[in-house]
Amino acid sequence: MTRFIFARLLTIIPIMFGVSFFVFMLAHLAPGDVTTTLTGPYATEEVREQIRIKYGLNEPLMVQYGNWVGRIVQGEFGKSIANRRMVAELIFPKFANTAILAVTSAALAYVIGLFVGVFAASRPYSLFDRLAMAGTLMVGSIPPFWLGLLLVLLFSLTLRWLPATGMTKIIDGGYPGDVILHLILPTIAAAAAPAAIIVRTVRATMLEILSQNYIKVARAKGIRRNVILRKHALRNALPPIATICGLQLGYLLGGVLFVEVIFAWPGIGSQLWAAIQARDIPTIQGASLIIAVAFVLVNLAVDVFNAYTDPKIRISEGMRAR
Amino acid sequence: MLQYLKKSAAFGLAAIAGAALALGALDAKPAKAEGTLIWAMPAAMSLFDPLQSCGWLTKNATHMMFDGLVELELGKPEKAYATLRPSLAESWTISDDGLVYTFNLRKGVKFHDGSPFNAEVASWNYDRFLKKDAPQYSPVGAAFLDFYGRWVASTKVIDEFTYQVTLKGPNYEWLQVGQSSCGQPEMISPVAYEKYGEEDIALNPVGTGPFKFVKREIDVMVVLERNEDYYGEAPKLDRIVFRQITDPATRMSALRAGEVHMVTEPTWDEIENVVEEGFTLLLQENVPSVWYAQFNMKNPLLKDVRVRRAINMAINREGIANEILFGTGHAEHGILSAGAFAYDPTYKPYPYDPEGAKKLLAEAGYADGLDLTMEIFDYGWNEAWEKWVQRDLKKVGINLKLSKLEWMTYLGKWLQGMPEDIAMNTMGWGWSVPYWTAHATRCDHHPPNGINGGWYCNEQVDDLYKKAIATQDQSEATGYYREANRIIMEEDVAFLPVFSYHNPILLAPNVKGFVNGQENWYDFTLPYIE
Repeated sequence: MTRFIFARLLTIIPIMFGVSFFVFMLAHLAPGDVTTTLTGPYATEEVREQIRIKYGLNEPLMVQYGNWVGRIVQGEFGKSIANRRMVAELIFPKFANTAILAVTSAALAYVIGLFVGVFAASRPYSLFDRLAMAGTLMVGSIPPFWLGLLLVLLFSLTLRWLPATGMTKIIDGGYPGDVILHLILPTIAAAAAPAAIIVRTVRATMLEILSQNYIKVARAKGIRRNVILRKHALRNALPPIATICGLQLGYLLGGVLFVEVIFAWPGIGSQLWAAIQARDIPTIQGASLIIAVAFVLVNLAVDVFNAYTDPKIRISEGMRAR
Repeated sequence: MLQYLKKSAAFGLAAIAGAALALGALDAKPAKAEGTLIWAMPAAMSLFDPLQSCGWLTKNATHMMFDGLVELELGKPEKAYATLRPSLAESWTISDDGLVYTFNLRKGVKFHDGSPFNAEVASWNYDRFLKKDAPQYSPVGAAFLDFYGRWVASTKVIDEFTYQVTLKGPNYEWLQVGQSSCGQPEMISPVAYEKYGEEDIALNPVGTGPFKFVKREIDVMVVLERNEDYYGEAPKLDRIVFRQITDPATRMSALRAGEVHMVTEPTWDEIENVVEEGFTLLLQENVPSVWYAQFNMKNPLLKDVRVRRAINMAINREGIANEILFGTGHAEHGILSAGAFAYDPTYKPYPYDPEGAKKLLAEAGYADGLDLTMEIFDYGWNEAWEKWVQRDLKKVGINLKLSKLEWMTYLGKWLQGMPEDIAMNTMGWGWSVPYWTAHATRCDHHPPNGINGGWYCNEQVDDLYKKAIATQDQSEATGYYREANRIIMEEDVAFLPVFSYHNPILLAPNVKGFVNGQENWYDFTLPYIE
């Protein structure tokens, strides 16, 4: 197993290089220049050039990339040009906020996805199954920002149960209960679409497995339905389910932007957007990289989980690594 | 199955009841600090070095933390334009030739770090953007304050509390030019500068203003608190929180949910409902904010003045003001911005006349129509008014292509001036002095030497500007500006002014005393929470 994890970790290195190069080039090739907002309409080209020199933006692109990678390897993200703060100081707290939202949303999506999916598969074409499938189609089709607005309208503005925006109260907020309250609506909004996808994947996978002969044998032996579902079917359905769950978490880490915007949640998505608008290249690079790393690591975790639950994968991947 | 559903329903109800109880328990801590005003603002602020930031939003915080020698009176919203009042200078005199400004500085003023303010400090702050060999000289600051600094010939400390500035030529608008968002130097503490250095002074703002810096979470919020040692009338608020909420619908939700007290840039179509719910709407029709398209004089299709005139006649400006802006703006026909002394609210040379426009286009040889491109930027307004312009022009046979760019990309291009193939580009702007139009129209302000990106030039207009700033008689200057405006709009037709914005502000019912003044920033010493 250790060998398998090590082999998979090694493959991350070229991926991260690829991602970092892509992000770096994208940030630099976008039209516009940070000096435009830093200096105003009457700055001479001389003043603009001074700023470019100060931040190393006058160097050839490959030299800039080399410098950046050199610093990143040493754990140095550089300094934000627009805000004059260390990029790490800006992006890690924001990423933590995004991770809180992404993980709770993923957890909610998993719970709903597994329970509803398994239950629907165990009673195919029943009323519950049909309702669940129609429901997931509807919820999965609603854009998260629209769902967010509806949730705010109902729970914040009409019922007055939950806060509408932010991660904490502005005045006297920030204690755990306060954060939990603020987390509920964005979590539901972000979890809806992944939950719908997971429900459908779980149901389809389970249905396929439940039609296998060994399940029929188990039934014929008189084993209880719950035991068949849990021990014989679900366990075998886990690898594809884990893969889709991991992907959903990865997407949530980078993609809760719409939910962050609608709920004014101070996450990495809105930070990245602000950096793009200001052409704050060190922040753009840092934020993109951290999202990419998170995505890759989540997928690695899924692979490890799959390898753990399915020896076939472990063996074949291990052989390939050799 | 039915039994299962019943069970589920019972469980669901129990869960909701439990959740409601739990929510109550989670929210047990009551909110304190009644004197805190929370403003949901639509975008990020930039650096808190008044010399290195130029945005309207940032100015809201910086002009509360820092003071200049003079400031705008923003507490009298009923006046047609804001006038100057003393700030760090108790009074000032202007020599008969209009060149020498002598400022009598206020005594006993202290910065937030306790260091004293005097003429040496004023001089240190002026040197920061005027004197290239000063250790604190900031080239970026000099670029930002160019509107103001380009007029200064020399400065002098007369005594501890008297400071003098001599101009290169008479300009009776110079002091008020300094009241734009990139204007006069608001004074920072040299002691703090010594401590933090050029790079970090923007993160540690120390001024003499009515509010002191408390904290900033980038792209989340900025908190200021009352300066108990302020020399002027003490602010009524304990704290101001500038909270960034970029989405307009979310800002409205936050206001309705009681999470913020104040919203700017509200969604226009919701204003009426929100007011019916008990919130207060403040509008200011004299805010210097005219939204316009500038014609590109180098564009071959626009070379004929009849085409430019036809475009002005084809736009139903009243329709935009009423149906797009829901009354939060008024139709604008000239390029002089409201809120400046020369503005003429009755100036309306272009009533909506699509038939006349068609006739003019036919005369110019475009009876079969023509294709034009207008560059626009993303301002969060979803190009609503630009689309209206596009639709109106379609009615007279002009196919207007809207080329929308993200703000930074747009700004970079805008500063370079329009290439030949672009017919016009848009901007929303204005100053509390009429001279700002000179920046957009003077012959010597073509890029890269200025922002006249439409390449307009008329020496007669330039002469009028020169006369306008050189006279102390405001009614005489008004005549010059209005004549320049008439030439630009009726003879040369260099712009398509569309509307002036009234900066709608929505306030929670418990916010009292707030004034929506004649600027894009507000006097936060006035409001209080009831």
